[in-house]
Amino acid sequence: MDIFAGLINGFSIALSGTNILFCFLGALIGTAIGVLPGLGPAATIALLLPMTYVIGSPVTAIIMMAGIYYGAMYGGSTTSILLNLPGEAASVVTCIDGYQMAKKGRAGAALGIAAIGSFIAGTVAIVGLTFFAPPLAEFALDFGPPEYFALTTLGLLLAVTLSGGSIIKGLIILFVGLLLAMVGLDPISGKIRFTFGSIVLQGGFDFVTLAMGVFGLGEILYNLESTLKTEIVTTKLGKVFPTLKDWADSKWAIFRGSVIGFFIGIIPGGGAVISSLASYAIEKKYSKHPEEFGEGAIQGVAGPESANNAASSSSFIPLLTLGIPGNAAIAMIFAALMIQGITPGPFLVAEHPDVFWGVIASMYVGNAMLLVLNLPLVGLWVQMLRVPYGILAPIIVLFTTVGVYSVQNQVFDIYSMLFFAALGYGMRKLNFDPAPLPLAFVLGPMVERSLRQSLLISGGDMTIFVTRPISGTLVAIFIALVIGQTFFFIKRKRGWKKPPAT
Amino acid sequence: MKKYERITAIFVSLGGVWIMVYAWHTLKLGSIHVPDAGFLPFLCGAGLAILGIVWMLILQGTREQEAKGPAEKRLWHRPVLAMLLMLLYGWAMEAIGYVTSTLVFVIAWQKVIEREKWLKTMIIALLGTFAMYALFVYLLKVPIPPEFFAR
Repeated sequence: MDIFAGLINGFSIALSGTNILFCFLGALIGTAIGVLPGLGPAATIALLLPMTYVIGSPVTAIIMMAGIYYGAMYGGSTTSILLNLPGEAASVVTCIDGYQMAKKGRAGAALGIAAIGSFIAGTVAIVGLTFFAPPLAEFALDFGPPEYFALTTLGLLLAVTLSGGSIIKGLIILFVGLLLAMVGLDPISGKIRFTFGSIVLQGGFDFVTLAMGVFGLGEILYNLESTLKTEIVTTKLGKVFPTLKDWADSKWAIFRGSVIGFFIGIIPGGGAVISSLASYAIEKKYSKHPEEFGEGAIQGVAGPESANNAASSSSFIPLLTLGIPGNAAIAMIFAALMIQGITPGPFLVAEHPDVFWGVIASMYVGNAMLLVLNLPLVGLWVQMLRVPYGILAPIIVLFTTVGVYSVQNQVFDIYSMLFFAALGYGMRKLNFDPAPLPLAFVLGPMVERSLRQSLLISGGDMTIFVTRPISGTLVAIFIALVIGQTFFFIKRKRGWKKPPAT
Repeated sequence: MKKYERITAIFVSLGGVWIMVYAWHTLKLGSIHVPDAGFLPFLCGAGLAILGIVWMLILQGTREQEAKGPAEKRLWHRPVLAMLLMLLYGWAMEAIGYVTSTLVFVIAWQKVIEREKWLKTMIIALLGTFAMYALFVYLLKVPIPPEFFAR
């Protein structure tokens, strides 16, 4: 099936009544929850993962999850602009100029340009995804266990190094995630591991309990500690549609943001956060008026918001073609696919073209829907921010508890979710970035299987990872990354110890 | 913060060593030709043990960062109470039934954690319980534990 035939088939699936409805619901729910401070895209998808069990069709379930993802990505900008509080990490830089615009009575223009920029960038990235994903999937058909082992370990390492936090802490979380994935039956020998006599643990931990615990409840527990009261800067939004001058000032920022976001989003671990930071830095560097940045420059909203939306769309490329989730939110979608009995990877396009093309086509539809939904409903999202956290928190707790119980109808899942909630809370207290945990958890079985299969194939010869061209290249990148990080770490440490000049 | 990080680093190291022993002794490592169930857990345990030590060494060489501006007051007892309530809720759901336990849970949350007035507490509890019941039981057809008086 060529690309255009596939896309037409995808549109026929995405435009069916049920799928349009679920795409709309996903974008709406995603935006609504994404607007709430403290709940980013990963937490939003985690909270809604049990829904995928009750949706019979895999295409419909994934269309809804994708809608939630880009809806939540957009929702994050609303809190950044109106509360100076990023709804998710990728919207941190939007706070800088977005909040200043809101203080000057231009909140509407900031929200409007964020929506329009997100739409354009999202669409550009989906066009890239449409044409880039099928050839990449075809290329990945040649991958064997050594290539998969090299790719997954490189992806995990990139996720840790590009997250921006402490690499040591990131690696610890990575190993913890891998170990949690090993609980239960060993897929090759059938031995029982880390169950300590518990029969329910023999099937391993459920991803839903981990995701909801670490990202949903962990977030709630951490927010419960806070005594800060957030206030909306303004109730008067002003005009939501940007003026011609706003558009003229923003168009190149949107274009650059789209391109930067698309390419950074493809790299595992790259994602929305880095792309928005990179876009802001570039806009400021090449602006004729860099002094306006930080004082309410519209390019400071348009660029990063476009970049993070382009990145969120292009991060579907490694998922759909290689089966590698590049960030925590995409790991949730990976899990949603697995729940539906579909293994993402190079065979997806050949074995489940309806899912592959249906999801891609639905992203065009969902992006347009998001624009139509967000511009007129900005006022509603502002009102949502007024709901006190004291009411939201127990409602979210009820939702997660019953949601987790509904997966297998056993209370044990609630207890294991609470265990992960405590883990997530502890991680936040100690400044651990939780993002590598779900990635390691979902990739763990693939890492172990590919490592052991590679060693079985080669008769224990470790050179199998370097003698094959693709895995050899990936291993070389892996080694270069490790050496580079170690070099920078030592250099930084020496810099600290240097006595101050007198 | 540094004190807690040091304690965590020690736990990480000790945990890593324990995993290595468990993988080697109970799961068995196999050989490099035919790796067994303990092979990757052993490597992960070794990774954790080494990272814990490296983390401790780094902590040894860095100074505690001074907080910028006045520190936000954080109420640590609220998450602890919330965890206890959720544990009890998980147990009560099967013991006394979904509707009763949910109602009691939301009332307890509002009174113990949020310290709300009774009227607001009851409104939130009734609406919250009803909304969840409607969503999960009517809409999503999730089988929930029956009430203790209806068994």
